[in-house]
Amino acid sequence: MTSTTDPRELTVGVGAGGLATADMVLNIGPQHPATHGVLRLRLVVDGERIITAEPIIGYMHRGAEKLFEVRDYRQITVLANRHDWLSAFSNELGVVLAVESMLGMEVPERAVWARMLLAELNRVLNHLMFLGSYPLELGAITPIFYAFREREELQTVMEEVSGGRMHYMFNRVGGLLHDLPAGWLGRVESTIEDVRGRLPDLESMLVGNEIVHARTRGVGVLSAETVAAYGVSGPIARASGLDVDLRRDTPYLAYDQVFSSGGPGRVVTRTQGDSLARLEVLLEQVHVSLDIAQHCVGVLGSLPQGPINVKLPKVVRVPEGETYYATENPLGFNGYYLVSRGDKTPWRLKLRSASFNNVSVLSETLPGNLISDMVAILGSMFFVVGDIDK
Amino acid sequence: MSDDDSVRTRAERGPERRGAATDNMSDRTMDAEQPEREPERGERGGLVPGIFKGLATTARAMVTPSHTAEYPDVLPDLPPRSRGTIALLEENCTSCMLCARECPDWCIYIDSHKETLPATTEGGRERQRNVLDRFGIDFSLCMYCGICIEVCPFDALFWSPEFEYAETDIRDMLHEKDRLGEWMATVPPPPALDPGAADAAEVTALSKPVRPGRATPPAGRP
Repeated sequence: MTSTTDPRELTVGVGAGGLATADMVLNIGPQHPATHGVLRLRLVVDGERIITAEPIIGYMHRGAEKLFEVRDYRQITVLANRHDWLSAFSNELGVVLAVESMLGMEVPERAVWARMLLAELNRVLNHLMFLGSYPLELGAITPIFYAFREREELQTVMEEVSGGRMHYMFNRVGGLLHDLPAGWLGRVESTIEDVRGRLPDLESMLVGNEIVHARTRGVGVLSAETVAAYGVSGPIARASGLDVDLRRDTPYLAYDQVFSSGGPGRVVTRTQGDSLARLEVLLEQVHVSLDIAQHCVGVLGSLPQGPINVKLPKVVRVPEGETYYATENPLGFNGYYLVSRGDKTPWRLKLRSASFNNVSVLSETLPGNLISDMVAILGSMFFVVGDIDK
Repeated sequence: MSDDDSVRTRAERGPERRGAATDNMSDRTMDAEQPEREPERGERGGLVPGIFKGLATTARAMVTPSHTAEYPDVLPDLPPRSRGTIALLEENCTSCMLCARECPDWCIYIDSHKETLPATTEGGRERQRNVLDRFGIDFSLCMYCGICIEVCPFDALFWSPEFEYAETDIRDMLHEKDRLGEWMATVPPPPALDPGAADAAEVTALSKPVRPGRATPPAGRP
């Protein structure tokens, strides 16, 4: 919904002392330290109060979906990594799961649990990033260093298994590329414990801090109806009370076992729908993901010897047909609509990205707020610009 | 559903404690500026306002030794699978072009020609060999995905954790086969695998029963 109201021209005051004023069109971005990446917000402001806000996207459009059409499924994984770069593993996972579902391929159990472990670690990495950058936008300089320290520890673990710190390129159709290195599970376990032990330090600066509270409580309230209307998903939707989590509702991998009652997985929701609720959801989800990751480590340690992938034919051809496969990415629903005509490249691979919907709701939330509150609201709409523009 | 208090946006409630919102957390003159209303307790409760909890954390961090590894004085400790650069073992390369074909970015440039070797035995067949003329990888295009390494059937390409090869001229980012060969010295051995991993193909082949047939190999064959 684009609301491009022309700036109003008014005369303030009466008679001879009247002052002609007009609303100001203020462009926030595309290059701006307070927006995550190249997002442009065209605001029409009356003094400091926002009248209309229009997010203008596309500054980072790389034509991913078009590029997908001339690449085979392993090459697509390389590109799919990069649209939401903070949740690279989850993106890859969506692609290979979509292809595997069309091929009817059954992945070995070891690969299933390893994928879950890495996906949850990726979720922690993503949430830690926002837990660091959101306070930074509010003016708190310290939490980002603490959050990034935890990220470094986890990225070390991810680098040991996949070779990459951000773009893992570890999922393949049929499983994972390599098996786990010796001793890696032990290192994952100790890293999870270390991160969990230091989380209270990070939280002490966020939870209960009066400044964060004053800037985020009641700011940018999203009602559950708005959330459902715009297709907002992930922690933002759950903070407004929408109880949807694809890991529990349409389970993939072995999430049905993890999210069953008694399992470590649980869906985190809040009801207030303001920026503080979104922050709280993120914090709690980190704890839940660490629990799930720990559970996966335990399961992987007890599995019998087995392969980590299915031996593929030389050329992977996906049979004709179409499928839509959505996974719960750290930022929300990430869906791949794959249309295949029987070739080794897809006919069409449409990407439903979480951030696109999350950002579209800004034109409803921002009007009526001050520009300083806009920074708080924008930071709480966790998005990655590559995910919006693809 | 959101309760009445938060339906009204922050903006409508008007400015509150403007000074507090612009305070830098490291600027500690907060003693004079106690909040007028009862501060909301954090999860951990207690009589200490939330701001002081954050202060206590940073104070503790101030007296703990830092864990920062000060690059470039200290080099990072990279795992063997780390994707730094690509090394080429030229003698293994048969110019099959699989890496150049599979690269999603088409950043590998290969030139080769065929050479005919004369027959080694009398009346034997002439052999054809591929000779690699040029093997270049353009690291300004490379996305470090590893598909070329994964797909090479002759183990001619390897990952190396070296990452310090930044150049001022982008044309120098095209590494030719001599430079790629130099990286081979930095290639680490692959890590040992988890005990839960499946046995390698060589190990499972050994445990297969011997096929009935020749008890001794025919003469002349190694």
